[in-house]
Amino acid sequence: MFAAENGLKGDPRLQAISDAIRVVPHFPKQGIMFQDITTLLLDHKAFKHTIDIFVDRYRDMDISVIAGVEARGFMFGPSIALAIGAKFVPLRKPKKLPGEVISEAYELEYGTDCLEMHVGAVPPGERVIVIDDLVATGGTLSAAIRLLERVGAQVVECACVIGLPEVKGQRRLNGKPLYILVEPREIDGCC
Amino acid sequence: MHRALIFSSLNPIYSKLSTTTASPDSAVFPKRDGGWIGPPPVFRLQNYKRTLLPPLCSASDSVANQPKMASQDEQDPRISKISSAIRVIPNFPKPGIMFQDITTLLLDTKAFRDTIDLFVERYRGKDISVVAGIEARGFIFGPPIALAIGAKFVPMRKPNKLPGEVISEEYSLEYGTDIMEMHVGAVQAGERALIIDDLIATGGTLCAAIKLLERVGVHVVECACVIELPELKGRERLGDKPLFVLVSST
Repeated sequence: MFAAENGLKGDPRLQAISDAIRVVPHFPKQGIMFQDITTLLLDHKAFKHTIDIFVDRYRDMDISVIAGVEARGFMFGPSIALAIGAKFVPLRKPKKLPGEVISEAYELEYGTDCLEMHVGAVPPGERVIVIDDLVATGGTLSAAIRLLERVGAQVVECACVIGLPEVKGQRRLNGKPLYILVEPREIDGCC
Repeated sequence: MHRALIFSSLNPIYSKLSTTTASPDSAVFPKRDGGWIGPPPVFRLQNYKRTLLPPLCSASDSVANQPKMASQDEQDPRISKISSAIRVIPNFPKPGIMFQDITTLLLDTKAFRDTIDLFVERYRGKDISVVAGIEARGFIFGPPIALAIGAKFVPMRKPNKLPGEVISEEYSLEYGTDIMEMHVGAVQAGERALIIDDLIATGGTLCAAIKLLERVGVHVVECACVIELPELKGRERLGDKPLFVLVSST
């Protein structure tokens, strides 16, 4: 569900966040309008608004873990975790985490990929928010949910800055609520 | 495991401290195995360290100002908890390497908070407008620091990850080379920047980041890492660029 429909309708911060996101056409390939959050990170006020909105939402929800998906989830997750007193758990591509891991495979457009988490990072019963910069098909987030549920954690919600049209209208992913700040920006008169 | 001499005569900061009148009971030099291990102290470092560098000068400080050194000789009490929150994984990614795993630090909410606070306390109010973080673990520490000091965060990435126009810098690995990229236009000439990564080993990656920023006219004020592996001499490789670390490890 989008923040604007969920208590933040008309909140000027959402417009500032949206305006700070840059669209890069045809990356990584033709036809994809890539939503580039690096420009959001250059806008200190808008970046702070982004974190503040998530912190305000999760502060009183008894969340003990923020799980961030590599690599752009790492740019948002730790600040939220620090502000709400939660642990930060990185969910990584294969062979990056040095200790014992559990892995979850997921589908790509062509082929499969894998997400890993350290064994013991999240004890059973802990309440978790999964964070990434953007949700498209939901494949990566679904893998993250499965990983966390396999260790007995409770995924309370998935949080993303941007939600692509594929998820619009879907309030849930794998049965988990989805909380999204903004829709993708479009370039006027492009393509 | 090889034990490093913590006080090297090559390093003027260490030499100065070894002549202080600090007693063996001071917080700086904990007794190991109940005894004082003769001067100059030799430590089994095992993730123990203190911050030693003098306070950072801001853009407005003149070179002639001598920063107060009083706090320099005492270990900040937060450091030992940070150090003990870091997990060492032997033989990763290959035999012989003792990998310093910061993910356990991120699970310790107080120690992670303290880590960020130590950097923020050092860099706040020093006219730093850019925090550049090196993929991927630099992305974990950099943004919270940037937010707290009012700076932008700039990710320094592996090739083909950044979507816009980039500038690239090639750097050496043990075998072969790698490339680091930064978005064109992310930073402006004249800005003052920090570079953050979780760890400095040989310093190759940090050097590449320094070069990328300097090529576009940015002044790199300091490199900051949670952990230093001093045997790999990364500090020397950075040349005249200061390095600030919280924990040193052999």
